[in-house]
Amino acid sequence: MKRSIVLAMLALILAGCGEEPLPLQTGEADSAIEEATEVGTVAPIARVERLRVATTTSLYDTGLWGYLEPMFEDMYGVELDVLYAGTGKALDWGMRGDVDVVTVHSRTREELFVSEGFGLERVPFAYNYFLVVGPADDPAGISGMSPEEAFSVLMENGEAVFVSRGDDSGTHGKERSIWTAAGFDYEAEVRTAGSWYVEGGSGMGPTLVMANEMQGYTLSDIGTYLAYQGDLDLVPVVDQGDALLNVYSVLQVGASRNPELSAALVEFLTSSEVQRLIGDYGVEAYGMQLFSPCAGQDI
Amino acid sequence: MFHLIEAFSIALRMIVSGDAVVFSIALRTLLIASASTLAATLLFVPLGCLIHFNSFRGKRLARGFIQTMYSVPTVFVGMLVFLMVSRAGPLGGMGILFSPWAIILGEIILIFPIITGLTLSALQGTGKGLEDTAIALGARRRTMVLKVLTEARYTMLTSVLMGFGRAVSEVGVAIMVGGNIAGHTRTLTTAIALGVGKGETASSIALGLILLSLAMIVSIMVNLLQHGGNR
Amino acid sequence: MILQMKNIHLTKEKNRILRGVSINVPEGSFFVLMGPTGCGKTSLLRLAGLLAKPDSGEVHFHGIPVPSKGEALFQTRRRIATMFQTPVMFSGTVWSNVSWGLKIRGISKTEVVRRVEQILDFTGLENFAQRDASTLSGGERRRTALARALVLNPELLILDEPTTSLDPSFKRDLLSRLNEIHSRTGTTFLMATHDFTDALAVGTIGAVMRHGLVTQAGSIDELLFKPENSFMASFTGMRNIFPAEFAGSMARVGEVDVAHAGDRNGHGFLAIPPESIVLALSKKVTSERNRLTGIVKSVERSGINWDVEVEVSDISLTVAVTTGALNELSVTTGSSIYISFKASAVHLF
Repeated sequence: MKRSIVLAMLALILAGCGEEPLPLQTGEADSAIEEATEVGTVAPIARVERLRVATTTSLYDTGLWGYLEPMFEDMYGVELDVLYAGTGKALDWGMRGDVDVVTVHSRTREELFVSEGFGLERVPFAYNYFLVVGPADDPAGISGMSPEEAFSVLMENGEAVFVSRGDDSGTHGKERSIWTAAGFDYEAEVRTAGSWYVEGGSGMGPTLVMANEMQGYTLSDIGTYLAYQGDLDLVPVVDQGDALLNVYSVLQVGASRNPELSAALVEFLTSSEVQRLIGDYGVEAYGMQLFSPCAGQDI
Repeated sequence: MFHLIEAFSIALRMIVSGDAVVFSIALRTLLIASASTLAATLLFVPLGCLIHFNSFRGKRLARGFIQTMYSVPTVFVGMLVFLMVSRAGPLGGMGILFSPWAIILGEIILIFPIITGLTLSALQGTGKGLEDTAIALGARRRTMVLKVLTEARYTMLTSVLMGFGRAVSEVGVAIMVGGNIAGHTRTLTTAIALGVGKGETASSIALGLILLSLAMIVSIMVNLLQHGGNR
Repeated sequence: MILQMKNIHLTKEKNRILRGVSINVPEGSFFVLMGPTGCGKTSLLRLAGLLAKPDSGEVHFHGIPVPSKGEALFQTRRRIATMFQTPVMFSGTVWSNVSWGLKIRGISKTEVVRRVEQILDFTGLENFAQRDASTLSGGERRRTALARALVLNPELLILDEPTTSLDPSFKRDLLSRLNEIHSRTGTTFLMATHDFTDALAVGTIGAVMRHGLVTQAGSIDELLFKPENSFMASFTGMRNIFPAEFAGSMARVGEVDVAHAGDRNGHGFLAIPPESIVLALSKKVTSERNRLTGIVKSVERSGINWDVEVEVSDISLTVAVTTGALNELSVTTGSSIYISFKASAVHLF
């Protein structure tokens, strides 16, 4: 009896070992957790090229990458590994040469990335707008203001909760630039402003969930907000202002081990066909456009 | 509340109907954890035996070090492995970052202290008296070692199971060096971490239930073995 | 001599456990190694069983020095069996425990069965063969451990404190079994005990250790009746030990003069065994040369006898009295009493 348990365990482990290459390297996508669709089987790792793209969470959480991924894979016969992270971390992976392509949204950091020789070229491919979302009763009374005005009021108010991404992401960078434009020193004044200013330290989706739980305000990209809207009581309170423009760019990493495929991915995203798909993405589900295509524009 | 009940019933349906995505994630998790545990077993059970059956300078120190390592945080191991296998790191040439192999490497490191340490305790647990008794009854050294291993086999298997339990349920290493890539490095824990963040309650619950069952199966087996060992 | 240990030294973690111990164990003897807990008995037995090596000194087996390593050491060790103070059972049945030593020697299955059955009968374990060893009581474990060692037909059987923490009845049973086995097999026994009465029950010869040294060695009778020092006297259970100033056949203990059978001068010790002192209510003329008067200080039960504490001048003597004698004399605390003992009963050392 005892011996049979031992043997069974061993068999399990050994069996697991033998079959290993198969499921580890299949390329199924996760329809529930991911919005990509099919459960495919793809040849083992040795025979399939893999390309890694690090994307900002907003492009991931809205499901755009899950939607585009199988298309690219079919087109080029490659496994596309999509890694999600804030803009800061995604660019860091790029600098280390751990990913081939990045899709992020922070113009200054992208330009720095290129000028320091880590990326080949900053190629904008889509944009939308940020929103300040908050509780429907708008406790701080900032509805309809410009983002800079709204932030000043929040600072004066000192009670209404504001949840910051606090994760060095593109959205976080945008938030900081608005604070600066409103005349505050981010490090010295905002971060130390009090318990109403919360640094969440997570992606856009979790930050929205957190702001919802705390009945506070937060700065969100429109795409993620719409994708999460069903689960949230938060409504857009500030949606006008140049400061809210949110541009997504794709950058080929200089140290990419697969420059051809990396270039192909940049081309793929800016191709007219995919640009059209990006423009249409989510219209059916949310009743409005999540991303506006902008390939070829300098914004 | 209603939302939760509904999510639960969807989760159960996903499990019962054998939802392909849920099960592929579960299978992948099992395989990664099994491979890590197998490799760690092959490496560290013998290491534990070597430490136990030999006397050398610094033996006590080694033992203490291994025990301290029990509580090493998974994110620390994750960071370490990331820095090692990142292309800019010393093992960057292997190109295993963001692949299951990186997770396996991380989990091997993560469960090293558990398997080595518990193997040591299992062997120590048989007592010095057992070794002396075997020798006094005329055993050669290798016969004695074999006897001690036989006596300690259930507790040693427990250490392997504990290692597996830790590997299967850890999230820090998997997310940092695996990257939670759908269909490639997504495991139960990382999928749950993502699913909860995205408010996908039902599938997260389904994955959570599977993870819970795995953990429970492991601890039931540990209990059975301990019972068997104490008989 | 089957075993000779010569000038053995052993240090463990800076404690000098053995400081030059020598013992000679004659072939066929039941050698009892005595001494209080912590005197180094167990360490010496581990060395005798060839389970450890001394820092210095020699171990001879059948007159031949035992090599410190290699196949020769292993082969010699196989001729000796050790039973530890706390026997460790292997998992499995009593049978599998007892047969293990034979199996690892590659002995044929039929021979194993024959010898194990024989030894189980011998040790009264015939009904325990299929019992799970982990369910045995302390006494049964000892017997199993004994069988496990005996089945190997060792030339030398080493037993470390086989009677500790056994109930008195189990203890007597085990000791008489050991005695019987010893006389039937002719195997040499080397047994350690901290209890001198164990030695009286089984031993023919022995040594007493103290602080890592042998303080006295010889036949059990010699150890009991001719203690060479006060430690020996008190260890063997001797009471009424006093420092004394000797002058010829007399000795002065405190303010009391004691006649003895020896001839000695100067300072030393003497002992008056409690059993050899006689109590009387009146001052009779007796043959005993020592006749004293005292006052009863206390009366206490000691086993089936009584210990009467009598104060004589400035010393206090313990007298062993039977219950019958106690009733006859109607000894009570505070009463005066006469005591007498022979000069030849007094031990000098």
